[in-house]
Amino acid sequence: MSDHHHISSAKFLWGVGTALFILTFLTVAVTWIQVPEPWNVVVAISIAGVKAGIVVTFFMNLYWDAKFNSILLFTGLAFFLLMIGITLLDTLFRIDPIPSF
Amino acid sequence: MSEPSAVEERPSHLQHHFVDSDQQFDSAKMGMWVFLVTEILFFGGLFVAYIVYRSWYPELFQMASVELDTFWGTVNTAVLIGSSLTVAMAIRSAQLNQIKGLMINLWITISLACVFMVIKYFEYVHKFEKGIFPGEYYAYEGIAHEKANIFFSIYYMMTGLHGIHVIIGIGLMIWLVVKARKGVFSNKYYTPVEITGLYWHLVDVIWIFLFPLLYLID
Repeated sequence: MSDHHHISSAKFLWGVGTALFILTFLTVAVTWIQVPEPWNVVVAISIAGVKAGIVVTFFMNLYWDAKFNSILLFTGLAFFLLMIGITLLDTLFRIDPIPSF
Repeated sequence: MSEPSAVEERPSHLQHHFVDSDQQFDSAKMGMWVFLVTEILFFGGLFVAYIVYRSWYPELFQMASVELDTFWGTVNTAVLIGSSLTVAMAIRSAQLNQIKGLMINLWITISLACVFMVIKYFEYVHKFEKGIFPGEYYAYEGIAHEKANIFFSIYYMMTGLHGIHVIIGIGLMIWLVVKARKGVFSNKYYTPVEITGLYWHLVDVIWIFLFPLLYLID
């Protein structure tokens, strides 16, 4: 059965790991130069998104995997974004915004 | 003579309700992805809490984040990425039928996971000593913001839930080592290694987002 399972070479896996280490350093280094609001958040989340994308694509093998698993992931993310969006539609536009907790 | 020989060829790991090993492997993997989606939404609730409260108190998050040590946060990020790499190497070893390599990579992963938890333990203790507890037990005077406890409630919930996942991951990998030692795994059957790997990578991905959101504000 392992005949058509994708097997990554050790060199490739180390390359992916190295890319993730470099991006981790980058996301810390960006905080040394004071990026103005709100771009510091945008940069931090973008780098985290790229790192997560690399892990999911090459460590979790979605690149070589049945596309159905990718669909599952994106469906999950879509509902996560929906949860954020609908919640913010409430909390961002309250006249008396902040409860006691 | 026309007796189907497929019955005798069924390997011992193959359960009767699957046609072949491939189908069993793909089903297990898909099931794991469904579980990972529920995990994303599980953590998602906490991420939504973070987003809502950060939009309400942006200045609080900048003030409180100073209490988190960026150095140890960075070290822990590197430790978890390293452990993701060794899990990927463990799966590769299993695929190549190198069971010794599989066990070595699993042990390195377990060790890195323990390093992560030890660092996390010292971070928590350091905060407890200052009186930084979650919710109503918060007793630290160092942050001039009346809602300072909220940041740390979110911090403890998110990192705590993540920490529980790391501990569960350590348990799963010890279980994998035990099974590997019994000779259960080969390049023909390594499904538990594969799906535990998927779980471990997801735990890594969640930390990849927690790290900048909690430690790198400002």
